[in-house]
Amino acid sequence: MLDWQTQRRIELFLFEEARLLDAGQFQEWLKLYEPQGIYWIPSQPGQTDPLNVASIVYEDHAILAIRVQRLLEARALVLTPMPHTTHLIGNVEAEEAGDGGFTVSAAFVCVEHQGDRQRIYSGRHSYKLARHGDSFRIKMKRVALLNSDGVHTAMAVPL
Amino acid sequence: MDKSASPITSDDIRSLVRPDHVHRRAYADAAVFQLEQERIFSRLWIYVAHESQLRKPGDFVRTRLAAYEILVTRHTDGNIYVLQNRCPHRGARICMVDHGNAKVFSCPYHAWSFRPDGSLDSVPHRKSYPEAFSLDDPQNHMQRVGRVAVYRGFVFATLNENPAPLVLHLGPMVKVIDNLVDRAPDGEIEIADSSFTLEYQGNWKLHLENAADIFHPSFVHNSSVAPARRAPANASLLDQDQTREMLLANGFGTAEWEGIQLNGFSGGHAYMNNIYSKGVLASQDADPVVARYRAALTARLGPERTAQVLAMNRFNNIIYPNLVLNAQYQQMRVTVPLSVDRTLVHIHCFRLKGAPDEMFHRAVRFLSTLGSPMSMIFSDDVEMLERCQQGLTRDVGPWIDFSRGIGTDRRSQDGSISGAASEMPMRIQFEAWVSYLTAEAV
Ligand code: FES
Ligand SMILES: [Fe+2]
Repeated sequence: MLDWQTQRRIELFLFEEARLLDAGQFQEWLKLYEPQGIYWIPSQPGQTDPLNVASIVYEDHAILAIRVQRLLEARALVLTPMPHTTHLIGNVEAEEAGDGGFTVSAAFVCVEHQGDRQRIYSGRHSYKLARHGDSFRIKMKRVALLNSDGVHTAMAVPL
Repeated sequence: MDKSASPITSDDIRSLVRPDHVHRRAYADAAVFQLEQERIFSRLWIYVAHESQLRKPGDFVRTRLAAYEILVTRHTDGNIYVLQNRCPHRGARICMVDHGNAKVFSCPYHAWSFRPDGSLDSVPHRKSYPEAFSLDDPQNHMQRVGRVAVYRGFVFATLNENPAPLVLHLGPMVKVIDNLVDRAPDGEIEIADSSFTLEYQGNWKLHLENAADIFHPSFVHNSSVAPARRAPANASLLDQDQTREMLLANGFGTAEWEGIQLNGFSGGHAYMNNIYSKGVLASQDADPVVARYRAALTARLGPERTAQVLAMNRFNNIIYPNLVLNAQYQQMRVTVPLSVDRTLVHIHCFRLKGAPDEMFHRAVRFLSTLGSPMSMIFSDDVEMLERCQQGLTRDVGPWIDFSRGIGTDRRSQDGSISGAASEMPMRIQFEAWVSYLTAEAV
C-alpha cells in the first residue's frame, strides 16, 4: 500500500486531468504526457497487442498533438456544437512500479452532452505514471471502454 | 419523417430521380427503404463473410441479409450455408455472438439442436412429440435462406432464387478482389480478428455516395489536414508518419480535383484513382518493408506479374450496393442498412499471407486511422452523413442536386469516366438504383 499522501497526490493528478478535459483545455491535457507518452483505447477487452489488433486510439505524443490541434480547430465538424463533458474518476488504486513510477487503475464515467443528445462512456483507466517534481507525467494511459468491441458512434473528446 | 410505409410503384420510383436531381424521399421515405430491402438487398449478391472466417466445419459468422439476421456456416459436407437465426420451434433467436465455432446450434429454450446446415439433430424427450413429427422435416430445421456464391474467398449471398451469376454482378469489380488476393505472397488473404462497427443516423446510400465523393475532403477534413500540415514530419515513434500522411492526403485543391479520375459502371459500381501517394502509403522500394514484401511476391509471381499487381492503385472500389474495398491497403467496409435513417458500417482489414508482419501492422493502423470511431477523418464524414439525413428528413426543398460535372463525363466501354470534381458516381448509383427498384419480377 502506498502512503496516503502519495495516494492522494495521484488521485489529485487524475482529477486534474479530468478537469482539463472537461474544460476543453486539451493543450494543457497533453502536457500531462511524457514526450514519448502513449494514449491507448483498445478495441477489444483484454487487448494487449496494439500492432496486430486495431485500436480505437493508439497514439504517442506527436500524433496526439495533431489530435489536440484538431479539437481546437474551429472547423472540426464533429465538435460543432462543442460537446460538454463530465469526466468522473473513482476507485483509484495505485501502487509503486519497479521503475520508480506508479501504476494506477481507476474506474471512470464520462457523460458527454452535445446539441440535443447525451452519451455515456465508462470503463477502467490504467496508467503508468512517472514522477515529475511534485507531480507526475503519463507514460501510458490505457482506456478500457466497457463497450470497446461494441457498436460505436463517432467520438471526439478524449476519455 | 415518413415512417408509415405505403405501397410504392415503379412510376413513383422513376419520378424520384432526374438526370441531375434526386428527391429527398429516396433517403427519408420508409416505403422506399422497404422496397430497397426487397429489390436491392434481397435480390442482389450481398457480401456476408470471408472464407477465412469459415475454415473448419462448424465455423460461423452472424450478420444480416436484408431484413433477416443470418448465420453463415461451414457444414461438415464442406459447403457454406445461410440460415435464419431463428428457432423453428417457437421462434427464439438462437445464436447471440458474431462469430465462432459450433458443432451444433442448440436453442436455449427447449433444446432443439441443429447442425451447421440447419438440419435438426435432436430434440429432448422425443416421445412427447406426435407420431408425425420428423427430425427430417425441413419445417423443423433452421430455415435456409437464399443462395451462396464465393469469389476468391469473398462469400456473397442472396435471397434471389434466380440470381445472375455472381461474376456477372461484380462485373469489372472482380479485378479489385483479384488484386487484393494476388497481393498475398502465399496467394491467400485472411480477415483480421479486429474490426470496427459504427452506427450512424442516416440512410445507407449516404455512405456509398461519400465513398465516391472526392470533392468534400478539403472542406470536411480541414480540421485534420491543417494541423497535420503544421506538424513536424516523422515525429511519431509509432507509425513511420503513416497517420500524418493519411491526414495530409485529404488536403485537396484544384490539381487533385482535376487530376484524379473517377470510374463508374452500370450496376452502380465505381472507383477512383488512388489519393494516397506519399510515405509508407506509396509502397516505394526504398522502404525496407516494401522491398522484402516485393521479393516475397516476386518469388511466387515473377517480376513482371508482380509489377502488374502492385501497379494497380485504385481507391474506394465500391461494389454496389454495400461493399467498399481498398486492395493496396487491405481494407474493406461493409454497409448494413437497419432502417431508412439508421446504418451500420463494418470496417475490416486483411492480412496478406506470406507478407512481412509490418505490412499487416500498417493495414491495422490504416484501419484505426480511417475507421475507428475516434478517427480524425471518418468521424467528420459521419457527422456530415447525419446532417444530410437531418436535412433530408424535413419536407422542404424536396430536390437535391447531383449536377456537378454532368456535361463533362465521358462514356467508357462499360460505364462512365469523369474528373474528381464530378458527381458522376452518384448519378451512376441512382441510375442503377432506379433499374433495380423498378424491376418488377426477377
Ligand atoms: S424455441 Fe427453440 S427449442 Fe423451443
Ligand atoms: Fe471523407
